[in-house]
Amino acid sequence: MWAFNLRGVKDLVFLSTIAVLTALAILPLLHIIYMVFSNGIGAIMDTGPIFITGTLGEGGIGPAIVGTLMLTFLSSLIGIPIAFAVGIYAYEYPDSKIGKATTTLLQIMLEFPTVLVGLFVMQVLVIPMGSYSAIAGAFALAIIMMPYVAVYTKESMSQIPFTFREAAFSLGTKRFRALFQVLAPIAKRGILTGVLISMAKVAGETAPLLFTVGGLYQTYPDGLDSPIGAIPLLIYTLVQSPNPADHAMAWGAALVLLVIFLGAFIPIRMSLKEVKL
Amino acid sequence: MRKIDAFDLLTSPAVITVFAIFIWMLFVYLMKSIPAFHRYGLDLYFANIWNATEDPSREQYGLLSPIFGSIYTSLIAIGIALPLSISYSIFVIDYAPKRIKNILIITSDVMAGLPTIIYGIWGAFFLVPTLKDSFMEPVYERLSFVPIFSTEPISGFSIMAAGVLLGIMVTPFASAVIREAYQMVPFKYKESAYALGLTRYESTKLLLGYIKPAINSGIILAFGRAIGETVAVSLVVGNSFNLGASMFSPGYTVSSLISNQFGNAFIYEHMTSALYAAGLFLFVIGLIVNLIGLYVLRRWKKNVGL
Repeated sequence: MWAFNLRGVKDLVFLSTIAVLTALAILPLLHIIYMVFSNGIGAIMDTGPIFITGTLGEGGIGPAIVGTLMLTFLSSLIGIPIAFAVGIYAYEYPDSKIGKATTTLLQIMLEFPTVLVGLFVMQVLVIPMGSYSAIAGAFALAIIMMPYVAVYTKESMSQIPFTFREAAFSLGTKRFRALFQVLAPIAKRGILTGVLISMAKVAGETAPLLFTVGGLYQTYPDGLDSPIGAIPLLIYTLVQSPNPADHAMAWGAALVLLVIFLGAFIPIRMSLKEVKL
Repeated sequence: MRKIDAFDLLTSPAVITVFAIFIWMLFVYLMKSIPAFHRYGLDLYFANIWNATEDPSREQYGLLSPIFGSIYTSLIAIGIALPLSISYSIFVIDYAPKRIKNILIITSDVMAGLPTIIYGIWGAFFLVPTLKDSFMEPVYERLSFVPIFSTEPISGFSIMAAGVLLGIMVTPFASAVIREAYQMVPFKYKESAYALGLTRYESTKLLLGYIKPAINSGIILAFGRAIGETVAVSLVVGNSFNLGASMFSPGYTVSSLISNQFGNAFIYEHMTSALYAAGLFLFVIGLIVNLIGLYVLRRWKKNVGL
């Protein structure tokens, strides 16, 4: 009887520990969202709409918002086509030596410290060009975004039933057309998900921009070969300032970034369950 | 040898580009750090010294303190992430009702993707003061004879704050690996465990043994993430050279050293090269840690498939 009770007690302790630790794992996110909203709304309210449209001198983060949008768009332009082709290659050659090495490389790049990409781009683009630039930032972000797009492309193509492949080839189509015009469109939903997730990811990156874009907050960016700002980078600068007014502004900018991120990420993530092929 | 067709012609340049970028990156780090190795030898990694002066002959750099800080903070991080991610995976797979399960999974995914600067601002303005007031100060008053608690928490910006913040940040990555593995445990094992009359605690313990390699791999990958994280850490770690055992002292990590010093490194003759050597350290550690983590996970998945 005693032995049975001890086991029962252990079981109860176990269950409650699991529940408490699970709560502890996700509570930080709720608190972060709460803090960003409660501090950020105050900061934005104090300045009014100027906060979104104005330059730093006017108390706004307009140039940073434009910078983030431009950098995300440019990096997608560079990164997505390459990554898409790499993903299809990795899908087509899952067992060849190069195919396996490609898959491994993509997974390593997913986990790679992003600050190293920034330092690398500084050396190969910023120094030869003689100035920080939007192009350099976009190139750094493209390197970071490629593995996401490629891995999603590969995974969602792998889920296509083999019969579709047979059907495509039995019509006598060449491999190029079968893959790009028949199979890739079937997997387009999964591929698109990867594209959107990678864009949400790079829009929030800070470290690769530290030594590549230069930061530009007093005027709007003019041209791709000149410095540009970004919301995450601006927050990083403002948090380190000793001035409390800058801290308030950092919270406001964090709110804008969080809204952009959640607005993009949650709908994508919610729709993922429906991806079935 | 199969014939090369349009598909190969179109995709292989892209594959070559990606490989080339990666190799080029490694090459740049090697080339740029060679001058520092020539000058300081292995002291570059094994000495704790940071003398930035305008007189190049008196410049001295040794990265021991940031390397120590990187490892220290990352170990604290996985110490936090390990119990959280295992509990989370068990709860999500075995006990959570369907609706809560979905919410928990989405929450974890959002945490994995959340811009790190948002963790950083929360860490600097909330976590650091809160940890200082409600943990570091009371613990220091009572337990300051324990080496890891032995310095007075002055600002709160410390190794510990960085470790805790990193722990929160890498938990979702470890969780994703462990949860996926735990889900793959065949249902018949669970049935057999309960059929033997085991309690939930006992059967879970048994099943966790089955996915142990996956847990190891999740933790290794989380360590890799933690050691490479930059901006959030540099906002809370305190950024000062320190080799003490106390986690209440401010410290440095390799990545926060780079983000802090690289901007003005060009003023000094040898600092840029020393910082590239720091980057090379991160590069190699990241590569090794991730390769091991991926290898362990792949081997386990293969064995399970049998």
